[in-house]
Amino acid sequence: MVDLAPAPSARKAPASSPYTPKPWYTRLFNLSGKTVVGLVLGLYAVVSLYPFAYMVSAAFKTTEEVNAGNNLIPANPTLDTLIDTWNRLHFFDYFLNSLWVTGATTLGVIVIYSCAAYAFSVLRFRGKTLLFRLFLVLLFVPGVVTLLPVVMLENEMGILGTHLGLILPFINGSAPLAILLLTNAFNAVPGDLREAARVDGAGELRIFSRIYLPLARPALITIALLTAIPTWNEYQLTRVSLNDPTRYTLPIALQSLQQGDTVQYNTLMAAALIVVIPIIILFFSLQRYFVNGLVGAVKG
Amino acid sequence: MTSHVTPDSALRGVGGDGDQNGPRHSPHTAAATSSPPATDATALAATPASATAAASNSAQKFAQKSARGSASGPAKTRRPRIRYNRTESRWGYAFVAPALILFAIMGVYTIGYGLALSFARWNGFSPNWEWVGFQNFTDLLFGSKTYAPRVQAAALNTLWVCIAVPVLTIAVSFPLAIILNSAKRFQGILRSVYFVPYVTTGIAVYLAWQYILEPNGAINGLLRVLGLGSLTQPQGFLGNPDTALPTLIIVLVWSAVPVAMLLYLTGLQSLDTSVFEAATLDGAGWWRTNTSIVWPLLRATTGIVFLLNLRDALQGFQIFLIMTNGGPGNHTNVLGLETYRLAFLSELSPTLGLASALGWMLFLAALAIALINQRLEKRAQ
Repeated sequence: MVDLAPAPSARKAPASSPYTPKPWYTRLFNLSGKTVVGLVLGLYAVVSLYPFAYMVSAAFKTTEEVNAGNNLIPANPTLDTLIDTWNRLHFFDYFLNSLWVTGATTLGVIVIYSCAAYAFSVLRFRGKTLLFRLFLVLLFVPGVVTLLPVVMLENEMGILGTHLGLILPFINGSAPLAILLLTNAFNAVPGDLREAARVDGAGELRIFSRIYLPLARPALITIALLTAIPTWNEYQLTRVSLNDPTRYTLPIALQSLQQGDTVQYNTLMAAALIVVIPIIILFFSLQRYFVNGLVGAVKG
Repeated sequence: MTSHVTPDSALRGVGGDGDQNGPRHSPHTAAATSSPPATDATALAATPASATAAASNSAQKFAQKSARGSASGPAKTRRPRIRYNRTESRWGYAFVAPALILFAIMGVYTIGYGLALSFARWNGFSPNWEWVGFQNFTDLLFGSKTYAPRVQAAALNTLWVCIAVPVLTIAVSFPLAIILNSAKRFQGILRSVYFVPYVTTGIAVYLAWQYILEPNGAINGLLRVLGLGSLTQPQGFLGNPDTALPTLIIVLVWSAVPVAMLLYLTGLQSLDTSVFEAATLDGAGWWRTNTSIVWPLLRATTGIVFLLNLRDALQGFQIFLIMTNGGPGNHTNVLGLETYRLAFLSELSPTLGLASALGWMLFLAALAIALINQRLEKRAQ
């Protein structure tokens, strides 16, 4: 996409100024480096957003118009498709289902694994390392291997096809990442704080909830995001567990729309937009935590 | 890029446990292990790419923590006996209990079940499993007339994806990161925009791609406008057996570039600027600086990006399931999808054991790749 073919002539040419190397293409096209940088970056922004532009475009078209052609700007933009999808096609219900599954999973991950991470980081007890390793092993097993056993197990437990049957495996699936990041965050809390609190008579629960959790807030938000976004989009397990349309989450509702008799792309794209918009809002409002979490994680 | 630790140091690294005051953790080992990039931990981590990065990072933190601990700790040969405070231990178990119970049910049980199933023949309904030993594995590889050819064809497609996706992702994200790094204004907002394909990855985006790849979709329209009408696909890009797989590869690269770009960007920003100044004084131009200095310096990042995408390409199949379901005519069938089909889409045939076996073979393949890579990195040192 970014054309960086070597320019042999420019290779050994000395840079025009000793401290700021100018890109070789500057001399080729007689453009300022800034312009070229801007063009390339702008082009890739277009590439990144291209499918979304058409998603939005189709969602605001009528059925006739979406079948007629693929011009980006709808001639008569209409909200009817979106409203229709939201109400008549029950996407409001699916939205609530998705919200519940994602919310419960995220909350579960935060509660369960912040406790576990506190124990792994702060408390001393026999077998701690073994347990910690056990959780890390989960990182190494591919999801497709456990998909079938999870379905079989839930069938026997009688929770297959329920939201609980999705939430429990989702929570467990986030365990390695959540435990690693949160143990890491708790390790950064000075141990003196805990000692001081203990001298003041605070118990473990109090120290955990009043000192450690507030201090690890950025890590908690990062984990919440890294759990919520994949859960919101989850498709593979959901597809093989849910049968009852009233329990559908958004990705599965979207899939069932696609499998209807004729694919109406304006409806489909309106539904896709409903799936994507919350994630984009979430990402842009909390991206500091998202990107910093990723960057921090890599930088160490 | 500083921190990449071997997985065993990651596993050894919980702070403050009795059996963990390993004397090997001197600050030196922590520093030494940080150079070989992309080890098992990075190669095989759970789904979001970030998981991996996070894993390797915290692993290092743990290592450092233990390192600090061991500095004041006991001498080399003696294994210290930690006196566990009874109340503290109880709290410890109580805090871990919910995670552990869930893990026992959803993790240990299912992994064990899957492993056992790979040695059995079962259709999901009959009351008993028929134990067949390694026959599932041999059937998949060469034994069966029905499954072996399908698996081999899928393996070939998977191989293409495994080569093309990492290479193209690196080819796009490395220059992109360099150019983005040189942009002073709008860097933050552009980085966020570039991230949208990654955070939205899922069925909604794949359907949008399907829409624009239709026979009369936007991509064909765009090609006509650009005067590249000969490149248009009258059957749609996913309908033509020749273009379906390359098209899916491009969509996969499109979703993989954001994380790779971020990793490169982070790597670039952690480089010592004096290197560039020296290079410039020696007369190296922009191109030369990036190819001869920056690229080698960021080799560790490249290793991570490559392995991350290799693992996803080997095991991931969601995009294939949604956009083509292996079609047209099995031209986009990959091993992950084949596993899924054997497990869930083969009606009453006794293929569940086969599915499990194929899944474990994918796991072993990923493990092998990670180990080979680790070897090569060590040798290159």
